[in-house]
Amino acid sequence: MYGIEAINANNGWAISVVGITIVFTGLVVLSFVISQLHKVMDLFENPRKIKGWFIGEQKAAEEGEISESPPFTLTEEQKEITKQFALLARTMEEHFSLPRLLHLSQISGVKNPHSNLNILLKSAIIFPDGEGFFCWDQNLYTKIISQ
Amino acid sequence: MGSLSDVFKESMVFNSLEEVDLKKIMPLFEKWELNTGDVITTAGDIAQYFFLLESGTLLLSMEEGKSVILETPGDFMAMELLSKKGVYTTTTTALENGNVFAVSREAFLSLIQEDTPGAETIMQAWQEFCSKTAAFAENIVDINVPGLY
Repeated sequence: MYGIEAINANNGWAISVVGITIVFTGLVVLSFVISQLHKVMDLFENPRKIKGWFIGEQKAAEEGEISESPPFTLTEEQKEITKQFALLARTMEEHFSLPRLLHLSQISGVKNPHSNLNILLKSAIIFPDGEGFFCWDQNLYTKIISQ
Repeated sequence: MGSLSDVFKESMVFNSLEEVDLKKIMPLFEKWELNTGDVITTAGDIAQYFFLLESGTLLLSMEEGKSVILETPGDFMAMELLSKKGVYTTTTTALENGNVFAVSREAFLSLIQEDTPGAETIMQAWQEFCSKTAAFAENIVDINVPGLY
């Protein structure tokens, strides 16, 4: 028995298909590995990136915890003072100078300007923009004031 | 938090120092108590001290209206965050009661200019601390030239 007849009789077609599939899969895996090799080389050159992944995960977890935590609670007096700070912040630019806000609160006669400014920072109503200036979180302010 | 050694352990700038280096640097620091509203450095004054935060919150008012809030125990206020050529460029105000450890600027700069592993560790950690805390302040002066502060 020879040729097509022999192939049919001994599952030749099935064996061929399996063989082709194995070779093709191997080539796909190999090409994928080669295409990602530059990332592995990059990690070899900059091992700090590995540390960065874990720090990134930690930060994300911390942010999650923060977002789940209840908003800062202020006393009625602190709410009144916060409203005064809000009025002052409105007269300034979106990214404002914190020392300038402190100075304005002092000359405006706001009660205990240092400690109350500190409360606004702790509550995150005022937050740093990373460039040396600060911003006012209006949503958080409204949420805390309306409690 | 009670002792200087505890603050050093918390400090990003000093926590990598070897025991021998810590023993050398610790006597340079003295504890100051701060009350809300206290001003410990004024821009334009002769720079005499650098500060290590133990507790409380400090507002560092820098040039061009920029500022930094330091509130983590172990935060270090020095060099380009505070001074340039021996003169404070930053006004530092306490926003709440707390404590700092003051170190003579001159003694500290002498220490980090020594050709020792400890000095190198401090400078490397300082650069990382600056990048994390006030990256915008990094370019004010060349941080590899301690004499400038």
